Amino acid sequence: MEWLTTLQAALTDHTVLSADNLARYGEGLVTTVQLVFASLVIGLFLAVPLAIGRSSKRRWISLPIYAYTYVFRGTPLLVQLYLIYYGLPSIDALRDWQYWEYIDRAHVWALVAFTLNTAAYTTEIFRGAIKNTPRGEIEAAKAYGMGYWLRMRRIVLPSAFRRALPAYGNEVIFMLHASAVASIVTIMDLTGAARFIVARTYSAFEPYLWVACIYLCLTFAILYLFRYLEKRLLAHLRPAGE
Amino acid sequence: MADTPIPLEVRNIHKSFGDNHVLKGLSLEARKGDVITLIGSSGSGKSTFLRCMNLLEQPDSGDIIVHGEPITFKQTRHGYEPSDWKQVVRMRAKLSMVFQNFNLWSHMTLLENVIEAPIQVLGKPKAVAVQHAMELLDRVGLAERAHYYPAQMSGGQQQRGAIARALAMDPEVMLFDEPTSALDPELVGDVLKVMRDLAEEGRTMIVVTHEMAFAHDVSSQVIYLHQGEVEEAGPPDQVLGNPSSPRLKQFLAPNR
Amino acid sequence: MTDLMQYGPRLFEGAMLTIAVALLSLLLSLLLGLLTASAKMSRNRLIHGIATLYTTIIRGVPDLVMMFLLFFGAQIGLNMITDLLYELYGWDLYIEINSFVAGVVTIGLIFGAYMGETFRGAFLAVDRGQIEAGRAYGMNHGQVFRRIRFPQMMRHALPGLSNNWMVLLKTTALVSVIGLTDMVRVAEEASKQTDQPFLFLGIVALVYLAIASVSEWGFSRLQERYDTGFVGGED
Repeated sequence: MEWLTTLQAALTDHTVLSADNLARYGEGLVTTVQLVFASLVIGLFLAVPLAIGRSSKRRWISLPIYAYTYVFRGTPLLVQLYLIYYGLPSIDALRDWQYWEYIDRAHVWALVAFTLNTAAYTTEIFRGAIKNTPRGEIEAAKAYGMGYWLRMRRIVLPSAFRRALPAYGNEVIFMLHASAVASIVTIMDLTGAARFIVARTYSAFEPYLWVACIYLCLTFAILYLFRYLEKRLLAHLRPAGE
Repeated sequence: MADTPIPLEVRNIHKSFGDNHVLKGLSLEARKGDVITLIGSSGSGKSTFLRCMNLLEQPDSGDIIVHGEPITFKQTRHGYEPSDWKQVVRMRAKLSMVFQNFNLWSHMTLLENVIEAPIQVLGKPKAVAVQHAMELLDRVGLAERAHYYPAQMSGGQQQRGAIARALAMDPEVMLFDEPTSALDPELVGDVLKVMRDLAEEGRTMIVVTHEMAFAHDVSSQVIYLHQGEVEEAGPPDQVLGNPSSPRLKQFLAPNR
Repeated sequence: MTDLMQYGPRLFEGAMLTIAVALLSLLLSLLLGLLTASAKMSRNRLIHGIATLYTTIIRGVPDLVMMFLLFFGAQIGLNMITDLLYELYGWDLYIEINSFVAGVVTIGLIFGAYMGETFRGAFLAVDRGQIEAGRAYGMNHGQVFRRIRFPQMMRHALPGLSNNWMVLLKTTALVSVIGLTDMVRVAEEASKQTDQPFLFLGIVALVYLAIASVSEWGFSRLQERYDTGFVGGED
């Protein structure tokens, strides 16, 4: 029964969970959360005007936005990340830019790729929600003397945001999971930390199991956050008595 | 009449949907305190006519004069269009519409629905708007529902709330588009009662309706439309009590 | 330029590999999805629980981590088993996990969970009266499933299947990190070697877009067919 003792040794051996490695997981967690949070926030700010433009009747506004979302939703995030990570530094004009040294970092490129990616998905989520605004509510707004922008700001967007909430919750989780590809371009995010520890300790399995659990917890946290938000913000759609 | 302008005057409105000529030169004049009811079978163009008055539908030709101010139109490649949408927006604020399906804004409470346009469009201070709104809600019997969302109220309550929303604009003219057609029969009465009160206090109203008793009791003028044309018009006693057109007689028959 | 600085043929092979991984894992995920959906609708609490655990874990862990876990984890697991067999019976086996198989299995496992949810929703959407009608005409469980529930369920499932396939297709890009030379891997290498990242990665992006567009067209045709049958009754 030699294998049993090996297993026992592996479990009691603290190389995988040494203080050093714990710190790595911690830093990885922070990096992941920062990257995902920053790209989601910037993506959200980009997506609102883009979704309004995408819903426009003027094709010269809506068509280019559609092309953007089509490309970014139709290709893998990894390819987008490579395109930016290898592509932008290959442009001479950009390399000669005086601020180049400040932005030439994997973190920046990952942030750019993630932001463009989530903005594309979020734009389409919002566009769908804007399109589903009840016609009568828009007519009422028109009939009460609201112009396009006032209508958009007071009637269409507030109700569209609420309707988009469940789909946006999925997008947040999707982004958290997709962010693992950051580790492929040398970033020490959660997955990156696991890969690093795997490479150093030759324990090929446990670090991944460990970060999988952390991702699972993060996913649940996001899930509960959105369930709470839906409860608060979608109260108006439930009939009385609930 | 020169000193007080007529609240709403529409002249010679034409409208087609494709080959279907639904409004064939309709005119109407709503003086202060008038209650004009538009009746007719479905497809007669009565709702379309009403919706042309605040340009929710765009007429193909015709004039609309609100409180003495004519809406200016121009011919574009899309057809007959208002030349100044800001003017349209300003004009709409003087005409409040009550819809068949209420169309309360679902993400706002009843009170928020009522104060929305007065604050955002008319620029009223919030406190003033809220106080006025509460008075109006009290008047339509919904004061204790102020903080309910539309989905939490019955159709009749929603429609009375929608009337309060319309009143909050202090409109020159109120437009009612079949306000009781989407309601369960037992809820119609409450809504009609509110409308009768409004007529009695001298509100200028244009009402598209199927409620003949209501039309008879409160109208100053009844207009019977058939296929986009005025078939018969006049005081209710004459139009509803003693119709001359055979079509109108037939139309009224089931209601007698 | 026509052979793309000699990377042309390799890129083509990579594209074929991508398509092979995508199609095989699609097949696996469909099978797993049907299994999961049945398990989730089962009255047996153990089976139900296992299926729920499976979908929860899959949906909570990133694809990439899942891929590492399965690729390395399965190898370790296999080694343990072969070690055990050697000790107990003296059988000397060594099975190495092939990265192609690992890729297909991982992606199949991940999307099996998503397909399961899609199928479950679609099964629940089938009108109960339809099933009862089948029973009333003396069909047994299997017949009702094959002849009535499955075909009707497909109409409801199609939009979800289409969506899952689109995501699956993009997920195949991750197999490059467990050593498979799919088109993403080839393009990445070519980008580094030739300093022409936009050319190679751009081509890869276009291939993905092309596959996605063709599939979208195909699915909409398929949906049309199912919907026509639905509206027009028998055809």
